[in-house]
Amino acid sequence: MGEGHRDLSRRTFLRRAGAAAVAVPSLSAILAACSKPGSTSGGASAIASIEIARPDNPVTLPLNGDPIAAGTALEAGPLQLYNWDSYLYKKIIAAFEDEFNVQVDLTTFNNQEEGIQKVVAGQVQPDVFFVTTDYISRLVQKDLIQPLQHDMLPNMEATVWKTFWDPGPWYDTGWRYTVPYTIYTVGVEFRRDRIEDSVAFEQGYELLWDPAYKGEVVYYDSYRDALGMAMVKNGATDPNTGDQATIDQAKQDILTLLNDQDGVLKINGAFALLPEGQFTVAQSWSGDAVGAQFYLPKGTSPDVLGYWYPDDHKGLISNDTITIPSTAKNPALAHAFLNFLLDEKWGYINFRDWNGYQPPFTTIDPGTLVSDGVIPPGLSKAVVAEDMFVEGLIQGQLTPEVDKRWLDAWGEIKAGG
Amino acid sequence: MASQTLDSGSKRKRRKQAPEAEGSSGALYPKWYWPSFTSPGAVWLVFLFLLPFYTILAVAFGTVDPAFQTPLPVFQPWWWSFQTFSTTLQKFYGDPAIFQQPAIRTFLYVFTASMICLVVGYAVAYYAARYAGKYRILILILLVSPFWISYLMRIYAWQSLLQPDGYINRFLEAIGVIGQPVNWLAGKPITVILGLVYGYIPFMILPLFGSLDRINQSMLEAGRDLGAGPSQTFRRVTLPLSKPAILAGLVIVSLPMFGDYYTNNLLGSTKTSMFGNLIDDAVSESGRGPEAGSLVLILMVIVIVPMLYYLRETKRAAEEA
Repeated sequence: MGEGHRDLSRRTFLRRAGAAAVAVPSLSAILAACSKPGSTSGGASAIASIEIARPDNPVTLPLNGDPIAAGTALEAGPLQLYNWDSYLYKKIIAAFEDEFNVQVDLTTFNNQEEGIQKVVAGQVQPDVFFVTTDYISRLVQKDLIQPLQHDMLPNMEATVWKTFWDPGPWYDTGWRYTVPYTIYTVGVEFRRDRIEDSVAFEQGYELLWDPAYKGEVVYYDSYRDALGMAMVKNGATDPNTGDQATIDQAKQDILTLLNDQDGVLKINGAFALLPEGQFTVAQSWSGDAVGAQFYLPKGTSPDVLGYWYPDDHKGLISNDTITIPSTAKNPALAHAFLNFLLDEKWGYINFRDWNGYQPPFTTIDPGTLVSDGVIPPGLSKAVVAEDMFVEGLIQGQLTPEVDKRWLDAWGEIKAGG
Repeated sequence: MASQTLDSGSKRKRRKQAPEAEGSSGALYPKWYWPSFTSPGAVWLVFLFLLPFYTILAVAFGTVDPAFQTPLPVFQPWWWSFQTFSTTLQKFYGDPAIFQQPAIRTFLYVFTASMICLVVGYAVAYYAARYAGKYRILILILLVSPFWISYLMRIYAWQSLLQPDGYINRFLEAIGVIGQPVNWLAGKPITVILGLVYGYIPFMILPLFGSLDRINQSMLEAGRDLGAGPSQTFRRVTLPLSKPAILAGLVIVSLPMFGDYYTNNLLGSTKTSMFGNLIDDAVSESGRGPEAGSLVLILMVIVIVPMLYYLRETKRAAEEA
């Protein structure tokens, strides 16, 4: 068990803080209102040139200038980090401060939309920004993140899976702008003290819809994950589909889960509420399932936690990234921090002792995580291996039209159907 | 007459010499002097109401960033688009009317919770004001004391109590009210309504207490002298005299209830979604900023009705007094 426990998941999604961003636009937003919003540069003209990346259609992003020189001296700081709440172990920050003799300030956002909005508006000007893959190309198109100096990130090749640096990830071939942070699957978490493994593994996704667990199921309050998993359950192989019938069927299934089965949408269900005993089955990111062991009541064995992900690996899988914004005041120090997080020791500690989200390190042997006691036996399917990305279903950026279809369906779900 | 003229003249003279000595008259102060006292309130109003309200208009009638789908407020009215507002409105009565049920639900929940607040709050305030004697201060402190603890923490405590294996179920099972545990947190209207009551009832009790405490005892004695029994005295004297406080309490508790979203977030589910949840969801999701602004405007129009009724009633009460 880690020393510090998260109060909220790194994806304490979709709840609170967006309101402030909507209600109080930044000064730059007000000044920008001198011309009609949406008609200026970066608006409609920019979107037209954004290429939608997919695993089978990898994108090499255009360079916004050159990376900083390899020999750039480290700035004096303070280094500004902008990350999800509780997604980074404070001991990692302290260790970096000690090693580089600088101050590190961490600012957090509650969901990615909030983080993006504040960076776009200039309300926050971080040196290091943690981003999901679906925003990368748009950030590049708007010149909001800067190219990385590979010579200052030697841990990429030393520690990280080769696919992330040769040829580089599908959303950023050549890893011009990003380094990976964590990897995770989206599966089903369950209480092994209430459900036999054999029953859970046989039912898979259907466990969430099993009437036997009426009122004991919690599903993510996150439209891409929620609708995406329902689609995969129904046999869809494209988790980015714009097919209205597929979206409608997923919507209907979730409405059934919520209205007939008394399921609830929560963002902290998998990592906090299930281990606390409130729920029996949860839609779950693998990292939340692993992190759930830190939320078990005192004296409860982590063996009560179980996780299912399809054995053929044809389930949702993804990774998060770290970037350096164009406005970073300490770009060299930011590179040093990225390299520090990719260090086999610190990345591993962040995973093992804090957030439960596995980094894509060659130094971590997925086959020994359970035997080494890092991951409880019931969560063996939460281990992420490199080859799982080959078969896995990866959610990427949607076109505005398709996104609207997803959001309309989600809006109906959230309104109670 | 001559004396009056002289006096008046001498007063004017004194004022000219020592205007600060005249506190009650503004005759010799610049025109802006007294109105300037409203400036803090005016600044407050402009920065904390008018500007935010105009921003909501700009968001509701604005657009979204084509790349990030973040709201782009449009501050020039000549560029406003009412398309999203119209679409949002249609979701209340069109096909599918996906916002209709949450809206109806909100009215039912707010009405029920407000009435419970009134009935329970009136009884408590009445007792505290008339019968608590030396314990009235203690009762008031106890009423306010929950506010020393964060609302979030209190609701988390309720979450724990209301769990299937929580103390509420255990207690109800022990006394035979229920045969098996009830999942109170799986979208039960009663849980959300009682959550609203729990969160807002002190705001009902305090104005009621203030009003009931100030009712002149002689008024009640006069009623009794005229032959009224206790219940008639209450109906014909106490209740009418406390009507302004009842209205104030209802307004104070019901208006924020209309926009409340966190009670349902913490104690309910999508089956108990309220108007505030619609706004919260629209704000939180990309591309729905203008819809969120539109919902805020629609809610404002709805809540302005009871507010206007309250203003009319208080004005009438003031005129009758």
